[in-house]
Amino acid sequence: MSRPAPSPIYTLRGAGGPLNALHFSCRGGDPPLLFSGSGTGAIHIWNLNTRRAEKVLEGHSGNSVIWISTLQSTNALISQGRDMRVCQWDLSEGRGEVTDSVWTGSVGFCQCSLLEMSPGTRLLAYPGQQTEEIKIIELPSKAPVCSLIPDAKLGMVMCIKLWQPDSGPGPLLLAGYEDGSLLLWDVSQRSTLSQAVAHPEPVMCLTFDPKRLRGISGSSEKNLSPWMLDGQNNLQLQDPVSLVNPGVSQLSIRGDGKLVASAGWDHRVRVFGWKKLRPLAVLQHHTDMVLSVAFSDHQDPRRRLLAAGSKDQRISLWSIYNEGADTG
Amino acid sequence: MSTMESLTPHTEVRVAVGRCVRTLTTSTDNKEIITAFQTLHSYLDEGPGSSTSPVQRAEFRKAHYTRTLQFLISSINADWLRLLTAAQRVELWDGLFLRGPPEQALLVLMEGIGTLRPSTSLDHLVSLTETFLRSGRLADLLWNHCLEAGPSDSPQLRETLLGRLAALPDLTANRLHPNNKPLFLPQQYYPLLAAEMLTALERTCQALRDGKDCSLTFVAQTLGKVCIQGHSGSVLAVMAPRLSVCTRSDMVWQRVCWKLLQNVPERWLESVLTGLVQAVSGPDALGRIIGNLVLKNKKAQFVITHKLLLLQYKYETRVLRILLGYLAADRERRLLVIQVLRSLCQAWANPSAVRHTPLEQQLYVSKALLLCVGLLNDSELQELRSELLQCMLGGMQSHLDSSVVRVRRMGMVVGECLSSRMDINGTKLKFEYEQDEETQELLSLMTPLTDDEPEPESVNGVHSPQEATQDKSSQNNSVHQPPKTAPDSDLDSDDELTPYDMSGDQEMSQASPPRYLRDCLEAFISSEDPVRVELSLRAAEGLVRKNVFTAREISVQLTKVLLHMEDKYNIVGFLILRQATMVALTVTDCIPVTQYLTTEFYSLNYSLRQRLDILEVLAMSAQELSQPITDKGNPSKGITPIAELTPYPGDNPVHWRQVVERRIQSKTKRLSKGATQPPAKVTPNRYAPVAGHFFFPLLRSYDRPQVTFDLLGSDHLVLGRLIHTLGLLMHLAVNAPVASQMGCALLDFVWVVRYHVDQMVRRGVLFAVCSVFLSMPSHSLLVDLSDQLFETRTWLADVAEGDPDADCRNLAVQSLVLLDKNLKKQLDPQALDLQS
Repeated sequence: MSRPAPSPIYTLRGAGGPLNALHFSCRGGDPPLLFSGSGTGAIHIWNLNTRRAEKVLEGHSGNSVIWISTLQSTNALISQGRDMRVCQWDLSEGRGEVTDSVWTGSVGFCQCSLLEMSPGTRLLAYPGQQTEEIKIIELPSKAPVCSLIPDAKLGMVMCIKLWQPDSGPGPLLLAGYEDGSLLLWDVSQRSTLSQAVAHPEPVMCLTFDPKRLRGISGSSEKNLSPWMLDGQNNLQLQDPVSLVNPGVSQLSIRGDGKLVASAGWDHRVRVFGWKKLRPLAVLQHHTDMVLSVAFSDHQDPRRRLLAAGSKDQRISLWSIYNEGADTG
Repeated sequence: MSTMESLTPHTEVRVAVGRCVRTLTTSTDNKEIITAFQTLHSYLDEGPGSSTSPVQRAEFRKAHYTRTLQFLISSINADWLRLLTAAQRVELWDGLFLRGPPEQALLVLMEGIGTLRPSTSLDHLVSLTETFLRSGRLADLLWNHCLEAGPSDSPQLRETLLGRLAALPDLTANRLHPNNKPLFLPQQYYPLLAAEMLTALERTCQALRDGKDCSLTFVAQTLGKVCIQGHSGSVLAVMAPRLSVCTRSDMVWQRVCWKLLQNVPERWLESVLTGLVQAVSGPDALGRIIGNLVLKNKKAQFVITHKLLLLQYKYETRVLRILLGYLAADRERRLLVIQVLRSLCQAWANPSAVRHTPLEQQLYVSKALLLCVGLLNDSELQELRSELLQCMLGGMQSHLDSSVVRVRRMGMVVGECLSSRMDINGTKLKFEYEQDEETQELLSLMTPLTDDEPEPESVNGVHSPQEATQDKSSQNNSVHQPPKTAPDSDLDSDDELTPYDMSGDQEMSQASPPRYLRDCLEAFISSEDPVRVELSLRAAEGLVRKNVFTAREISVQLTKVLLHMEDKYNIVGFLILRQATMVALTVTDCIPVTQYLTTEFYSLNYSLRQRLDILEVLAMSAQELSQPITDKGNPSKGITPIAELTPYPGDNPVHWRQVVERRIQSKTKRLSKGATQPPAKVTPNRYAPVAGHFFFPLLRSYDRPQVTFDLLGSDHLVLGRLIHTLGLLMHLAVNAPVASQMGCALLDFVWVVRYHVDQMVRRGVLFAVCSVFLSMPSHSLLVDLSDQLFETRTWLADVAEGDPDADCRNLAVQSLVLLDKNLKKQLDPQALDLQS
């Protein structure tokens, strides 16, 4: 008999808006934290021990926050809002103020992507003012690195992922576009390496596993499309995984590369085994679209969590497939 | 002159033996004693160098051997015995026992063991008996009786000998208690005896080949005696395989076996045969061993064709296969198969048997019938066609009429098999029933095993249902990813992660659920839109629980609509949803809804299903009301009340019974442990004030038959469920002030139907009685029911002993225990306190 469907271990309420972005920070200091960016422009910092919001940051003047991330080397947070700004926050010693900001000029929903190059320097890729443009700058100097515009007309850039391959000189960038195609960019050469049409609809989200050179993208249709990079950096599509209900807002791979979770428009989070994309669980709890999903980076694998943020203004936290007490 | 001649050796031997005995009693000289022993031994020496004549030896064996041995045992403590060395004692003293006629030696030894007190002498005798058994003297004993010129003995002596042989383990165990020897234990002795019998039989075969006549009467008697004493298993486990092998090619062996079985006295034949059919490996082996005994011996025929097939239903299917295979294997015996089939048909189709015999027996008869039909060839089938058809039709009807699911299913399977075998114009019966182990086994019986040695029933190809559902649910979600072309070297794959249940992952509907209860009502009454109806049905329970006041306004109306609602759109979980909503309505607005439902239960033009629904709703509502409100937030959530419900009970009233079982358990525990548990938190019982509204209207008009509904007539099913429900309502009313009246009324009601033919009704009655005893306060039990209690007790005792249904018997025993406990508590409260 298969086990009954799991239920969340707890729910965080009170964000006061749809939750567009989630980001865990459980590795370093105590207590473990969860950052959430809401549709009302607030960034909540949740203490996962007390399960209360420790602090609320308001910096995007009421515009929706669509992406957040922490900077590993410093006690800092970076967030992207629909006020066309990417803000950097200083969180050390209980502070919470914007130290720097970048104007993007993008009116779309494309989330930024951050890549740590060396301690202290990092690359930030963000959608530019032209809808199909991706800009990359170096932080903290804010020196522009390049601007990537595809030759063909692919429509708006929908999602991007910057990563550094083990072999090869420069970082690569994966981008999904409005017409459903995926492009692999070589950042240093400013050229496209490969292109593939993954979906008939706009690519809503993508995630990539640099260790296995394998990624997966979601769209507004009923399929998830997994793909692979071969040795020559060619994108190869694999058999799609079909879903019961259409629409995926976000995809996330767990740190150990065993699970991938999808945030569905049908209020459900689906969990698959990352290796064969075998469906493992359907997490039903939310009463509205799930917008974001994230796996925690706990050092102890037993404490790992899965967080899902929904339009119903709640964040649900789940503990599934953790070694030890509740393994799969 | 001739008398003189015969007297001479007679007196000679007597004198010599007398002298020896005297020497042994009086002498203190070692040599003299040894000489005396040697003289005695000389009468037993058979060889050519013997100093005595055969006539003398025969005379000694016949007249003096037993007495000599008895003398030896009586003087076992004498001083002269000490004069011998240990080796001499073994050679001379023990030797006398081991070389003479074994039957006499055995009798004397057993007598000796019986009379001696525990001492070294007894130990000596015991070890001597062990040696006696080990050195194969039993085979000699049996073989001696096989010879035509065997020891001529009186019937009494023979009887005693048989008794000693068959009961040696009992005799020794009774005497020796813990000092018994392992060899004398039944586990060792009977296989030994069996092996010795085989040796005797083997010698018989050899003698027959040499042209000598033998008699197997004694061996057959021994076998019979041992088997009737209950050791057929261990004896035949040794004998049957060996006989089966020996008879395979050897005609002499076959004749010996047949003769052996013919010679088994009739009163012991049954136990030998039942043991044998269980011990042999297949029908052919049985045929070789017993031959056509079944045709020659009336008793054997009765046992094999009647008792083993129809009455003693404890045997495995293998035994049935062997028996019927045996009957069918031979042309002469085949007539019996037809006869057996007729009686099996009769037994199977008999409506009274269906109602009054235990289920296991019916299953056994069904198996035998199927096996039997499977063995028939086409011409025989043609001949029996009309009888089979009659059996099938009549039997099916009585099986399908039964209210027990297993009986119905058995009827369906057997019907299917019979019809497929008979080939009625190419048509076959086909039923829809759930496959389980039982049906699989029944179906498998139609295919004969070709192998000589049948293997135990295999469970081949039975896919567990959950496997299937898992497959289905995963197909629901996604297409399986085919294995990648480049196999990953990592060992960790998704396989180690077990999926959770994903059946809840359904397509989302576009429409939004209704937000007002009146909208639901509207949708139920007038909407033709399946989506709207489904959403309304799904939302209804939550809305009822959330909006209590609206629910009260339209409770009866909504209940009426739901009661008449049909699953027009094939909504998933329709029955559960409908029931849950009705339960919610009943709980929310108790009195009007129960009034409506109880009135409708007896009114015209309802289907059985609807009447059963009414009962279920009442029972579940009462259950919910009687439970303390633990979680206040629960009803207001309104999203998942459906998921909390157990699966639709359907035809299975077990869950009610479980409740009572649990109650009984907890009750008995409390009595024995004392009040150690912390007292439960006090909450008002919502059921107690309204229990009467649930209960009494249901009792009102059960005896008024209507055109469509005759509770005391053909509608057993409803009657059984009604009584169950009443029992449950009674049970839930524990501690309610009205419980006493309810109990009296319920006992009055069930009294009429206590001997109902349908076991479901009887179970219901007993369940109700149980709940009366559980829920009624014991003082009012005594006061209000005093005149009925005695009769009830007698009736319960009667049921506990004689009801064919095991559940009924158990329930009756439970009721008796409860009643006694109650009475004891009331009559003598102190005694009970002390006891606990």
